[in-house]
Amino acid sequence: MATSGEPVLEVSGLVKHYPLTRGVLFKKQIGAVRAVDGVDFTLGRGETLGIVGESGCGKSTVAKLLCNLERPTAGSIRFKGEDITRLSGRALKAVRRNIQMVFQDPYSSLNPRMTVGDIVGEPYEIHPEAAPKGDRRRRVRDLLDVVGLDPDFVNRYPHQFSGGQRQRIGIARGLALRPEVIVADEPVSALDVSVQAQVINLLDRLQTEFELSYVFIAHDLSIVRHISDRVGVMYLGRIVEIGRDAEIYEHPTHPYTQALLSAVPVPDPDARQDRERIILSGDVPSPTDIPSGCRFRTRCWKARERCAVEVPLLAVPASFEEGPAAHDSACHFAEEKRVVPPESTQANGNGPG
Amino acid sequence: MLLEVRDLHVEFRARDGIARAVNGVSYAVDEGETLAVLGESGSGKSVTAQAVMGILDMPPGRITGGEILFQGRDLLRMKEEERRELRGARMAMIFQDALSALNPVLSVGEQLGELFTVHRGMSRKAARARAVELMDRVRIPGAAQRVRDYPHQFSGGMRQRIMIAMALALEPALVIADEPTTALDVTVQAQVMDLLAELQREYRMGLVLITHDLGVVADVADRIAVMYAGRIVESAPVHDIYKAPAHPYTRGLLDSIPRLDLKGQELYAIKGLPPNLTRVPAGCSFHPRCPMARDVCRAEVPPLYEVSEDRGSACHFWRECLDGDER
Repeated sequence: MATSGEPVLEVSGLVKHYPLTRGVLFKKQIGAVRAVDGVDFTLGRGETLGIVGESGCGKSTVAKLLCNLERPTAGSIRFKGEDITRLSGRALKAVRRNIQMVFQDPYSSLNPRMTVGDIVGEPYEIHPEAAPKGDRRRRVRDLLDVVGLDPDFVNRYPHQFSGGQRQRIGIARGLALRPEVIVADEPVSALDVSVQAQVINLLDRLQTEFELSYVFIAHDLSIVRHISDRVGVMYLGRIVEIGRDAEIYEHPTHPYTQALLSAVPVPDPDARQDRERIILSGDVPSPTDIPSGCRFRTRCWKARERCAVEVPLLAVPASFEEGPAAHDSACHFAEEKRVVPPESTQANGNGPG
Repeated sequence: MLLEVRDLHVEFRARDGIARAVNGVSYAVDEGETLAVLGESGSGKSVTAQAVMGILDMPPGRITGGEILFQGRDLLRMKEEERRELRGARMAMIFQDALSALNPVLSVGEQLGELFTVHRGMSRKAARARAVELMDRVRIPGAAQRVRDYPHQFSGGMRQRIMIAMALALEPALVIADEPTTALDVTVQAQVMDLLAELQREYRMGLVLITHDLGVVADVADRIAVMYAGRIVESAPVHDIYKAPAHPYTRGLLDSIPRLDLKGQELYAIKGLPPNLTRVPAGCSFHPRCPMARDVCRAEVPPLYEVSEDRGSACHFWRECLDGDER
């Protein structure tokens, strides 16, 4: 979907540190988990921004910050120009209507003692101005219909539904207040393969129907590519590379993005031989003890002295003036490297379908 | 043949009836071969593996028919003591969740060493030395120091390596890996799969890889058995199945993978949901979700038709599916 006009969301310098304390009576801060450590991005109207990264990279914390479920340690989140991190009370409540979340686990994010009708209609209890009381029942039924569930299910309980159906309930709840932005945190990763495609198609259709902007957080790179206009790659609390989907997938310049893409198994046995895989050594460092300089350097095969001293900024590297490689990448030694085989093997007549 | 499962049936007594979790499954793995068993949750892929290993909870589970031949001998007719001797030594299993599969109150060195003291009668000191060697072999940095650490002190990827080390310690002929990398991040998944493939080549063991990930399968498998609702619906060499699936369920799974040339379009989605195992549809259990279903599919259970010498499909219309113009 095309981007137009000014962004719906502008995130700059976003930081979330969770203090680590010691002692019961006299709590002393002895460190911090630097979950999100300086994140900047914008989200255009009607756009989908995918955020990928491995566990512990801070992508879910970003989601919580966007929905104001957590307060940032520093930085700002502007929704149509207004910094929502400084709002409180009534003003905050009004903004929250416009940014809704769809959670990962449809098993734990629905209250088992509430009926589907109550779950989907609950946002109206909190924001009564969104729908007059007499109209709510009808709206809930409409919402169920929109997400592909039988409206007669309103009196059923979550346990009577499958995972995919529950995720539809979660999506219906997210739509209830007619938000402009939906933050979806791993919305399909708990679902069976054959059901994932159904939910992705639903999200795609709803985006057009309700003119939504999505922040789509996931670890499955092929699904993110399918749904996103732009993609940001996170590592240890920061975005290390961001750009249009083709720029990231076909012309990655950050070594972490290259390793991540090369590690994804390709569903084509013929690609086994001609694939180059970058196998990273070691594990992700702890977010309580982030390496100096470039945070990826401890696992990077290109690391030199400069990387330990100087933090690379997220900007278009000077070596690329134009073309698809010229997008933001936080690496001192950014270099283009194609790691995903061109799709010709799948696009020709041999592929399934 | 190293392992041959023949017409296996496993039932579970559930509150709402009898769940036929495994309903006539047959597959075979040879030495040095990797068989991927692909299926969604509830397809019976893990239950089959548990029956092979002899770790199925009975009750509520019950094996109601079939044979499991391991190096020619039927495991289901063996005494429990005999099976216990095989388990760990000749056949081993790698689980998805290493944290719950390892004992939290024993150091990893004790758990690895135990295999050698119990099965090989080694002294504790010698067993500890072997444990360090093994940890080295699966590339755990600083193995000599870390041998005293407890499972929770390791990262997810390192714990999975320890499980692999445990499974391979006594050089078994058969290893069953049940979603070994599902809980891991992609970069770590690549490390672990690489290690597993390397060790398999080295020891020439037969590997049954249980997974739902079509990407992982394409990367490592020689053959695939696709399971749906307790049955094998397609069985074929890996290259054949990705080129042209002979069962509409396999085709549906492959088609629902996002593809570059179809970006911006709707993804192909298999309609509906996998069936409840206590009420599996009559005839072909996939028919309510199948775009090719006809009257015969609702009435007759399709046998595994021979597509070619080493390939089978449980679809009445496998020829049409193979030609692939109908969907």
